[in-house]
Amino acid sequence: MLEAEQHPSGWVEARMLRVSLAFLLLCGCSSGPQSDLQYIKQARSIAAEWAEVNQQASHGNLTATYVGSMHEWLRDGAQTSVTSLTEPDSSYGKEMKALLAEPDDAAPAALRAHADSLKQIEDKLESA
Amino acid sequence: MNPLELTLGIMTAVGGFVDISELVFAAKAGSTFGYALIWVFAFATVGIMVFSEMSGRVAAVAKQPVFNLMRHRLGLKLGLLVLAASVISNLITCAAEIGGVALILNYLTGAPYLLLAVGMTAALIVSIWVLPFEWIERTYGLLGLFMIVFAVALVVIHPPWHQIAGGLVPQVPHGLSTKEMLTFGYFTVAIISAVMFPYEVYFYSSGGIEEGWSPKDMLTNRMTSIIGMGLGSLLAISILASSAQLFGPANVDPEIPGTAALQAAIPFGKWGLILALLGMFFAVAGAGVETCLANAYSIAQFFGWNWGRHKKPWEAPRFTIAWIVLFVLALAIVLTGVDVMTLVEFAVLFSILVLPLTYLPLLLLSGDKKLMGEYANKALAKSLGWLYFAIVTAAAIAALPLFFLTSGGNG
Repeated sequence: MLEAEQHPSGWVEARMLRVSLAFLLLCGCSSGPQSDLQYIKQARSIAAEWAEVNQQASHGNLTATYVGSMHEWLRDGAQTSVTSLTEPDSSYGKEMKALLAEPDDAAPAALRAHADSLKQIEDKLESA
Repeated sequence: MNPLELTLGIMTAVGGFVDISELVFAAKAGSTFGYALIWVFAFATVGIMVFSEMSGRVAAVAKQPVFNLMRHRLGLKLGLLVLAASVISNLITCAAEIGGVALILNYLTGAPYLLLAVGMTAALIVSIWVLPFEWIERTYGLLGLFMIVFAVALVVIHPPWHQIAGGLVPQVPHGLSTKEMLTFGYFTVAIISAVMFPYEVYFYSSGGIEEGWSPKDMLTNRMTSIIGMGLGSLLAISILASSAQLFGPANVDPEIPGTAALQAAIPFGKWGLILALLGMFFAVAGAGVETCLANAYSIAQFFGWNWGRHKKPWEAPRFTIAWIVLFVLALAIVLTGVDVMTLVEFAVLFSILVLPLTYLPLLLLSGDKKLMGEYANKALAKSLGWLYFAIVTAAAIAALPLFFLTSGGNG
């Protein structure tokens, strides 16, 4: 006889709910480099976006207002990524803090260097 | 047929396809997977064409909005469940659009984001109050066409056209790890959801009634669905392809909507940037209007209230109060400070869960010979309808696990 048939109705639903909750908790409570991976990816992209904005601004392709707003939002995003890390003192945490320490008008090459470093860490973690 | 009659489809599609979610997902899809997700856009576009044509046909023949018929067909309890799910999904989407439009205005003016969100909500309320329905369509639909700068920018950067054409063939890229495969799955589901947002159908069918469609407008309905949705899809695919060409190699996975505007700035400089931001502004503002009105239409139609923007606001008082309150609620969500990107993710997730509940009653109603007579679904509409219903149901089942397993597509 199937397990569900031995139990009152609603048992299967209750069990499914418990499994779903456990799954959600597992997703939400994990820590370490693997759970930080999404924030590393975000910071890598932010560094690359920032570099692209500064590059285009240096060619005169962007308005000053757009550049100012983008700097504000990109810095805000980088800050959120750093504060979301479960291991802020790790090598990637330090790299992300170094990115945040850059001035708004940092050289695109310097920003790309941060993006490249974070990309290497990201690739290593993904292949682990 | 007057070309201006197409503006309902253009507004529905430009606001539906190139809303804030699409800007984010199309750009991210291109930078992450190159051209490999183009087919999902094309495939989902046929789906939304099929369902919007059905909803327009039901509106023209039965002269009844979808939600009114849905309540009679599904009964009060199930109908209420569909209504509640749709309202929540549309409200979150509307909040994402208001946040998005404030963000775009912030890129244009530099004024504080939250102040802009309040100002824009007031401006949208005034525009709906003051403008007749046709002018709401024309203003947001036609000004949203500034987005065409994205398609022109794609041509100018000389992309590999053979690879873009290859992207139209259904595929899963080779050599993906399990994690990347799950992310690809999440993007597939999210794109289907973003292209087939339920509010597009509610808005489109109610718009058909606002415009007084009858069976003689079948051609308008068909052309509007195909041209409007096709145009929206073309713009979304342009953003994806430009992103694959410009952002992918530069390690950019656009984290904020403003990055998409760079696609026009790179080839055209400041004017390209300004046109792109204006197009994004009107398209996202149009989507805000659509989501809010779609919600008010649904509620009013379900409870049998007087409704419609073809009436003076005081002639349909409960409907008027509903759309104003919905705007204020969406603004309240934005004012909590929740990130626009988070709202976008939730909007897409909720919408995919609601899709089967939206499209099943529509499929049944449009196939009902008693209601539709000679205009009931024929073999092609029936086959496509059930195929897409099966797909959105599968996508709805897969959405939540994929969302959690991929941290919302972030790996």
